[in-house]
Amino acid sequence: MVWQRGAAACLALALLLCGSMPAAAANRLDTIRARGVLVVGVKTEYPPFGTLDADGKIVGMEPDMAAALASQLHVELRMVGVTTSNRLQKLADGTIDVLIATLGDTPQRRQIATLVSPDYYASGVNIMAPASRKLANWTDVQGQTVCSTQGAYFNRPMSQRYLLDLQIYNGVRDAMLALRDGRCAGWLYDDTAISEALGRPEWQEFTMPLPSLMVSPWAIAIRQGDDGAELEQAIGDQIAEWHRSGFLLGLERKWHLQPSRYLQQAQALWSQRSDGGAYVCSRTATGDWPAACQDQIGRGAETASGLQKLGMQINDLTGLDFSFIYDGYDRQSFLHGLLLSIGLIAACVIGSISVAGLGAITVEARLPLISRLVKAAAIFCRMTPPLLQLYVVVFGIGAFTARWGVTMNAFIAATACLSLYAGSACMSALTEAADTIRHDRPEFRLTWAGLPGAFNLAYQPVLASLVNIVKATGMASAVAVPELISSSTAIIAERGNSAVMMHVLMALYFVMVVAVMHLLTVLHRKMVRHVAA
Amino acid sequence: MSPHDVIETLYIWTPFLAGGFVWNIVVALLSMAIGTLLGAVLATLRLSGRHRLVRASLVVTALTRNVPTFVFLFYLAFLIAPEVQIGSLSFVFPVWIKASLALAIAVVGFVSDNLADALRHWRANNHTAALMFIPNWTAYLVIIVMASSTASVIGVGEMVSRCNTVVASVGNNDLMLWIYLYAMLWFFACCYPVHLLMRRVKVWIGRGLDKKAAAKAEAAAP
Repeated sequence: MVWQRGAAACLALALLLCGSMPAAAANRLDTIRARGVLVVGVKTEYPPFGTLDADGKIVGMEPDMAAALASQLHVELRMVGVTTSNRLQKLADGTIDVLIATLGDTPQRRQIATLVSPDYYASGVNIMAPASRKLANWTDVQGQTVCSTQGAYFNRPMSQRYLLDLQIYNGVRDAMLALRDGRCAGWLYDDTAISEALGRPEWQEFTMPLPSLMVSPWAIAIRQGDDGAELEQAIGDQIAEWHRSGFLLGLERKWHLQPSRYLQQAQALWSQRSDGGAYVCSRTATGDWPAACQDQIGRGAETASGLQKLGMQINDLTGLDFSFIYDGYDRQSFLHGLLLSIGLIAACVIGSISVAGLGAITVEARLPLISRLVKAAAIFCRMTPPLLQLYVVVFGIGAFTARWGVTMNAFIAATACLSLYAGSACMSALTEAADTIRHDRPEFRLTWAGLPGAFNLAYQPVLASLVNIVKATGMASAVAVPELISSSTAIIAERGNSAVMMHVLMALYFVMVVAVMHLLTVLHRKMVRHVAA
Repeated sequence: MSPHDVIETLYIWTPFLAGGFVWNIVVALLSMAIGTLLGAVLATLRLSGRHRLVRASLVVTALTRNVPTFVFLFYLAFLIAPEVQIGSLSFVFPVWIKASLALAIAVVGFVSDNLADALRHWRANNHTAALMFIPNWTAYLVIIVMASSTASVIGVGEMVSRCNTVVASVGNNDLMLWIYLYAMLWFFACCYPVHLLMRRVKVWIGRGLDKKAAAKAEAAAP
């Protein structure tokens, strides 16, 4: 009976997993009207475009646009907070119907989502740096470590053009904290966001002295496949109307933004009338806007190498984008991530064993106070989530050390936290092994010499803890260590090839876990021989 | 921020954070439930005596042991659509269920190993030794409760992600150290007593085992 029930549950789970392929909605607008709710993805940490107010409500220029759009469609509005790194993913998987989240209009993004014309705003990329740096020219930041945010469209071209050593963070807040704590020379971001930040008192000593680059318009996006559908038309018409009526210029004033030339030009363009009195920018017979009204998005003709061509052909034929193999930039960041992950794994395994050994000897030495403190610390490390420990060290303690001019290295912090977490568990296994030995030899005290014996006795639980920590090294991605998960999600944010990247990621991690297990088994065998000898 | 401000802010936001902690518990319990169910199937198969089934079960168990939960979390978050449409019906697949599924993988391996052991003892009439499964299972629940904090990285509104929301709303980054420490305290206060209790339970069961062994020895004595 139990068996059958279990099997049925298994089957149900398998069905759930299989049935999870995104279903193509024939007409999104009908779905939205039927459900009576428009789900819009907006930013929550990008004032004044999208931010949380004191009650935790999402407010800003883009939420205002979302509200206007929903009322135009006669449906309720539900807003979902998105980040730069997950916004296109949330659109692709159907979490949101429409994305209004400071999305720059680029050719690459037009390949993974439908960007509605016309665009509604524009911004360029700039750098915010301490005034003491006295930047005069973009070449002044060449080769420097610069903080940025995952998934930003300018990461790749800026790092290539100015040879920036980018330190990529998960969110705007984390990148700004890193700048404040001196972990990078400057923060690369949209000029609109930087000028907003510069208005706040805590950033008084920072400036934005360089001219903006890569000025690009922003677009509202809907899911690919909803291309040319009614939803795109409806939103496009609405934006055109917003340009004509000055609604967007009004929002700009309401949210105290610098007057943007883009909006003024757009209003002039979209309000132009032909001799017959009709708008020059009105839909043609095919439903498109006249070419003169479209924003000219540079279709950068990159010269493709042989490998690149092959990769793109495979992509066209199968829909599988192996950009981390054929594309030089993606390949480099992926390999770098892989190496960093391997380094992190090695450091954490060695760190855990060291923490365990030293801790166990200290506890066994029964030093007054110190042994007790070590024991208590170990229990605290084991009984709190390692992710929180990581945040406390990097963001909490890091902020304090920064005041004394010491910057916290995220790689070292991650190694320390994960080693302490796993090391404490191993340590308790070692002291338990010592207790077992004391059963037969009551005078036994664990010392340096007795360590191999104790490790041998506690081998199973120690191995389990070490394997666990290998699996958990990915957590370092949460504090911007550019390891394998970080680099994979960055590639997905740019390319939309989540299936390929996620399968490769799982396979690589699986291989690494098995390799570490194998290595530790070999080591253990050697140790057994050594103990016996 | 003065210490008074910090304490006041933490106090104001405590109900919100506690609501997040409920999610940690929900996700952890759900993943224990799913994992225990599937793990029990594997454990039963391991003891079925049929060579092929035993092999298959061992392979699957080894697989679940080596799947990194944290990576699997991203895997499910990226590859499962939040709303699945079959015909005219649409099923919602919220992110907290994805998190539970990801964490459940680790539970499957654990239950498969430990329950197989316990069942063996049970069948050998070592009922007391089989009972060890209960404290072991509960100790693992504690580990999963802590692991549920990683669900924040895929957007589950549990405690850690609510800490981030609070920091963003209050708009003062000096709060970060204190709020994360405060959240840590919650986890510690929840997990440590359970950990201690289960150690106690293990000792009790162990004593039962000793008594049994002693009784056996007495019975065996002439």
